[in-house]
Amino acid sequence: MKIVYHSITFLFFLLFPFLALAHDVSSADQEILRAGGLLAYVRVGATHMLTGYDHLLFLAGVVFYLNSFKDILKFITIFTIGHCITLIGATYLGVTANEHIVDAVIALSVLYKGFENLGGFEKLKITSPNLLAMVALFGLIHGFGLSTRLQSFDMGENQFLAKILCFNLGVEVGQVLALIPIIFIIKYSRKSKHFSAFYKAVNWYLVIAGIGLFFYQMKGYFMGH
Amino acid sequence: MMRKILFLVFAIFLLCSHDLYLKMDSYFLDVNQEAVVSLYNGTFEKSENIITRNRIQDASIVINGKRKAIDSTQWIDKDTTITQLVFTPQKEGTYLAGVSTKPRNIALSADKFNSYLEHDGVLDMLEARKRQDLLEEDAVESYQKHVKAIYQVGKAKTQDWSAVLGYPIEFVPKVNPYEKYSGESLALQLLLDGKPLPNQLVYADYLQPKNSHSHESEAHSHEHGESTHSHDNAKQEEHSHTSGQQLRTNEEGIVEVQLPEDGIYYVRTIYMTSVDNHEELTHESKWATLTFEVTHKHGSDTHTHDEDHHHESSFPKWIFILGSVVLVGILFFVFRKKS
Repeated sequence: MKIVYHSITFLFFLLFPFLALAHDVSSADQEILRAGGLLAYVRVGATHMLTGYDHLLFLAGVVFYLNSFKDILKFITIFTIGHCITLIGATYLGVTANEHIVDAVIALSVLYKGFENLGGFEKLKITSPNLLAMVALFGLIHGFGLSTRLQSFDMGENQFLAKILCFNLGVEVGQVLALIPIIFIIKYSRKSKHFSAFYKAVNWYLVIAGIGLFFYQMKGYFMGH
Repeated sequence: MMRKILFLVFAIFLLCSHDLYLKMDSYFLDVNQEAVVSLYNGTFEKSENIITRNRIQDASIVINGKRKAIDSTQWIDKDTTITQLVFTPQKEGTYLAGVSTKPRNIALSADKFNSYLEHDGVLDMLEARKRQDLLEEDAVESYQKHVKAIYQVGKAKTQDWSAVLGYPIEFVPKVNPYEKYSGESLALQLLLDGKPLPNQLVYADYLQPKNSHSHESEAHSHEHGESTHSHDNAKQEEHSHTSGQQLRTNEEGIVEVQLPEDGIYYVRTIYMTSVDNHEELTHESKWATLTFEVTHKHGSDTHTHDEDHHHESSFPKWIFILGSVVLVGILFFVFRKKS
């Protein structure tokens, strides 16, 4: 019980610094990109990953389901390959889509992961899709979300590919930085006898958050047009 | 006589008098950041010809009150359409760059000349030709172009934006463009031979940093320069070099350019006069452009990001984070109680 309390408290303090970052990230990012060189793209990529709660929620969902470090490494690698492909490819080719729609699909990925972790497919007596393939697919979608985000900035024409790669590098740095405490919390909470309740709570939260984010993005899509 | 005719024919095909701009990817730079300024010779969106070095009469950069000439060897041709200067600013400040080209002549048939006057917004001359019943008259025009760009390096502002380069025609802002923000306006004074030029048509437009409108897909050219440049698409009547704001200088030669959105702004004018009693020339024109970039204020009270593009920042994340932690806590207690 104490461990889970600690986990929730830790979760709060872990997220607390983002309260400061959460304000006006876009405009600040644009100024950083204007003023800085390639390192600015690394920084903005990392910041976007660390403050992009949809990506973090999905990652938390993926990691929550896994027990061994080997599995975590495998799934995260697949997710990383997926998002690298679309982040680099779509940005370089100038392929973009409405941000709200892309983020709505990403929200559904969060919902999907919570649903799957809670055994939703088994309860509905449906064969669940291959987990690794789904993570790869969602990796592609998250990468496209990151790409649309990157393309919303004024990148100029100079060193275009280098800027994309640096943003991608920043995303990976941010992902690693985010994963360390997430894995720590999950590993730590597993020791508690109330882990089952914590597991359900977090995954139900992912389902609720996924639905909430989906409707939030759809509202943005319809209200913004 | 034959020599003159040959020269004029040569001029039609080889000399350029498209709009000329000093264009940068971003006009916000950092100290020691390598940057490129391009001479766009065509429209602000698409350059069609390079500028040969022998055409450049002056190329200067002004910072901290000091004017430094750009050596002609520093210019490079990116391809057959764009001439560029790669540079690395060493100090913070509001920089002014300028390029002035030597006069050149061009011969145009009456139709071509009228079309050019219309599409390039030299409407006063077109009206004068109509009034004087000169629309059937061919023209031989001397043209010269004088272009400036103002860019901001670092945060420190300097007064160099107000420098008068002494070009035959030039725009001089009345305030620092980098102390103006989207939603505001910027007063520019147009100087002809150093004196305010009243009642002159001026055009101002801007490109949004991303997803800007483009004319590249449209056939778009005038026969007024080094390459054929003619309007031959269906939208000919709608399209011109005069998109955006059409302004006219007041008695002090000042125009107030509106800055509705973030973007790279370009202001242009062509001052043309008739030339009397000249054995060759019928008209003389002086072209001026000024480019700069405008962004928005970043104070919490002035934050105006387009929600459609930056929707994430519009969501109060602190509510999301606190709400998430509280929700996980509540759910945990519910499931713990159940178990």
